Amino acid sequence: MMSHQPGLFARGSAWVVALYLLLPISIILPVSMTDQRFLSLPREALSLQHYVTVFGSPEWLASIWQSFQIAVVSTAIAVVAGTLCAIGCWRLASRATNLVRALMLLPIIIPSIVYAVGLYRYFAGLDLLDRFMGVVLAHGVTGIPYVVITVSTALAAFDPRLEQAARGMGASLMQTLRWVILPRITPGILSGAIFAFIHSWDELVIVLFIASRDVFTLPRRIWDGINENLDPAMAAVAVLLVVFTTGLLLLDLALRRRRAE
Amino acid sequence: MSAAGHSLALRGLSKRYGSFTAVADVSLDVGQGEFLTLLGPSGSGKTTILMCIAGFVAPSEGAILLDGQDITPLPPERRDFGMVFQGYALFPHMTVAENVAFPLRVRKMGTAEREAKVRAALDLVQLSAFGERLPRQLSGGQQQRVALARALVFEPALLLLDEPLSALDKKLRAELQDELKALHRRIGRTFVNVTHDQEEALSLSDRVAILNHGKLIQQGAPAELYEAPRTRFVADFLGKSNFLAGTVQEVFAGGFAIGAGATRVVTASAELPPLGSQALLSLRPEKMALLAEGETAENTVTGSIASWSYLGAGYALNVATPDFGTLRITLPSWNAPIAPREGLPVRLGWSATASVPVLDDEP
Amino acid sequence: MMRRQDVGWWLLILPAFLLMTAFYVAPIAQVLAISFTEPTPGLGNYERLFTNESVQRVIITTLRICVITTTISLLLGYVLSYRIALASPAAQRWWILAVLVPLWISVLVRAFAWVTLLRRQGLVNETLMSTGLITEPLQLVWNEFGIVVGMVHYMVPYAVLPMLASMREIDPRLLAAARGLGAGRITIFAKIFLPLSLPGLLAAGVLVFIFTLGFYITPALLGGGKTLMVAEWIGLQILDLLRWGLGTMMATVLVVAILVTLAIFSRLVDMKRVFGGGGA
Repeated sequence: MMSHQPGLFARGSAWVVALYLLLPISIILPVSMTDQRFLSLPREALSLQHYVTVFGSPEWLASIWQSFQIAVVSTAIAVVAGTLCAIGCWRLASRATNLVRALMLLPIIIPSIVYAVGLYRYFAGLDLLDRFMGVVLAHGVTGIPYVVITVSTALAAFDPRLEQAARGMGASLMQTLRWVILPRITPGILSGAIFAFIHSWDELVIVLFIASRDVFTLPRRIWDGINENLDPAMAAVAVLLVVFTTGLLLLDLALRRRRAE
Repeated sequence: MSAAGHSLALRGLSKRYGSFTAVADVSLDVGQGEFLTLLGPSGSGKTTILMCIAGFVAPSEGAILLDGQDITPLPPERRDFGMVFQGYALFPHMTVAENVAFPLRVRKMGTAEREAKVRAALDLVQLSAFGERLPRQLSGGQQQRVALARALVFEPALLLLDEPLSALDKKLRAELQDELKALHRRIGRTFVNVTHDQEEALSLSDRVAILNHGKLIQQGAPAELYEAPRTRFVADFLGKSNFLAGTVQEVFAGGFAIGAGATRVVTASAELPPLGSQALLSLRPEKMALLAEGETAENTVTGSIASWSYLGAGYALNVATPDFGTLRITLPSWNAPIAPREGLPVRLGWSATASVPVLDDEP
Repeated sequence: MMRRQDVGWWLLILPAFLLMTAFYVAPIAQVLAISFTEPTPGLGNYERLFTNESVQRVIITTLRICVITTTISLLLGYVLSYRIALASPAAQRWWILAVLVPLWISVLVRAFAWVTLLRRQGLVNETLMSTGLITEPLQLVWNEFGIVVGMVHYMVPYAVLPMLASMREIDPRLLAAARGLGAGRITIFAKIFLPLSLPGLLAAGVLVFIFTLGFYITPALLGGGKTLMVAEWIGLQILDLLRWGLGTMMATVLVVAILVTLAIFSRLVDMKRVFGGGGA
């Protein structure tokens, strides 16, 4: 084998960077299991008391449940709208659809703070401030780009002649969608759904502006926690979040691998 | 299946993409039960024409008639044409039987009837045992036959084939050519085929339409096109040909003679050009013979072997001549009159009917 | 031109288009509009760009932090991508996971982790003090240093993805061929690998820079209110000071800066590299 290998220095520094990425995140695990009442490493023994605190707290549980509901509904909006849009753009493939696709990417390009400020004013007029529906709409719309990107990627590998073949044999647009296109791009749609879900689940900036009391999501509660009282229960919540996100990511990787086979 | 052939007609069909003309004013008739092949190099517009017939491409001008009815505005799903796509376009997530059942399913046909039709279609292409397999578990030839079964199962008015054999290796291609031809005979439907492979076109079709740069150059039965090409392009694209250029020296009943340098060549032709004009003759390599001492022919030319190669069934000689450059000639190897060797002087002979006047459409 | 048989496909695009127009474009357009109309119609808010010292200070701080963050993120990201691109397929999978997991973990969680580590009574200071290296805790967070540490941590994965994609397009046989021709490791890197990976580096630079410009959470949590970047400053104007005109003016400037950056670099970089397969 003549394959080129990085030198010792390059290998070593790559490890350092990887540790920089991963260590700070992993440090919250021992911190969350501390036996102390303040943020620190465990002194005498490992303890699950802070997890008990979180699961015994109606506020934390209510926020988790609310975040979950918002994420599910907004993911549904993003997946339906994003998937159909990606399919339409893929099939039409014109200058106009390129513009549409660029429009769909705006929420990734434009900083959330700008959108949040705009929405604060806009939703006041529509009476959507501090409403479940308001947050769902905001998260759904900003989740569309993730779905458009993953579905477009899946469609790029889709043979357009399959669509032609179906139409040529008499299938209507709906029949072609249901029986030919959607079954082939399901993994891409699921990937998009996972990312749209994580997006809503973690989203804070918009929520800071358009929600205050009735809608109090998990990120919002964490934000208050970090700003007000840094206690080990925060670390427990953080660990739960990391586990949850990593689980979703592993699910996505497994789906991709299955698609590759 | 009933022999319900339909006729198709293209009237002044054109397709332009911006300033690029893919198809220019093509008119063509396909008779009931006929096997027509659109033949041409890539970029000749043949696939665009097929896509217009199928309804995937809207023509810029002209009309498509099925049994005299204008179908130009119909979307593809309303045309009821069967189509075999290049690379087959089998649905990879459906079994063979599901693929074949697809056109019936979209027509909401009842389960029992559907199953019977699928079985009959798979029988027709000898794949009854493969219904539960996925397309990727089949060989290329089998996939091709599934595509055929799927295109025929709903008894379409017309079967369209887009380079149906191009994905197969040479030997399999020959086998499937025979099968396709037999299938056409058996079901008596109208087939429109597109290919760039001239051998396939000649062996399969009742009629061939030759296209180049979006224009229809010549159409006719395969033998007619091969024996009497009208232009240089047709002669060159169908098989191999030598071209003899010269000045018309003499015109007589049923033919004329051209001269180039010291050589004179006669040809049989119904159309007679004016004296002194430039003319081009096409001459197939297999229509020449090596003349022995004292043997004569209507046309003779002397030269020497510049190079040669052995091709199994025959020899191919490149003979350098003083007036026509290098001429290619093929001889059956089993009774070749000479042992070829470079520099060997030879005399070539051929009949007046072997040299065919053609229009010089390619410089 | 819209053909009749395409109508169905356009209908598929419609829901997303309507949602996006009504609930994304409209609010943002409103931001732009407010910047010209409040408190009085005209360009008054934009005059502040040239006259108001606090406005200028926040812009300069933001640009400084962005440039530093982008530079460090590219450097670290390049080192990581280089290692990943040349790893065996099996090892690549683990390395990529090491990049993707931080990418998708909540930015709040990560900021929280950095606070835990870097604050006065944090793990870093405690460790350093217990080993006797320092006697007074270092000021590691709630300043510009803390912001940069947290932002780089957030941005490295974004830098890796486009760089890795472009490095993977490099034909490994080129490197083998160069070696066969007698080139050393450093020559191969400098003359072959680096030039071929440049498009990815540029794309990563654009991506990281525009993401950093409008970043809110990390600077807000790790800057401790003392070092203000543009996004936090906008939030402050709107939520606390109710200066809508000034806040939306800065928001408009931010959007324009990002779009201009993208427009300039879209001539140099294939935007698909920046935003993945479905890019514009």
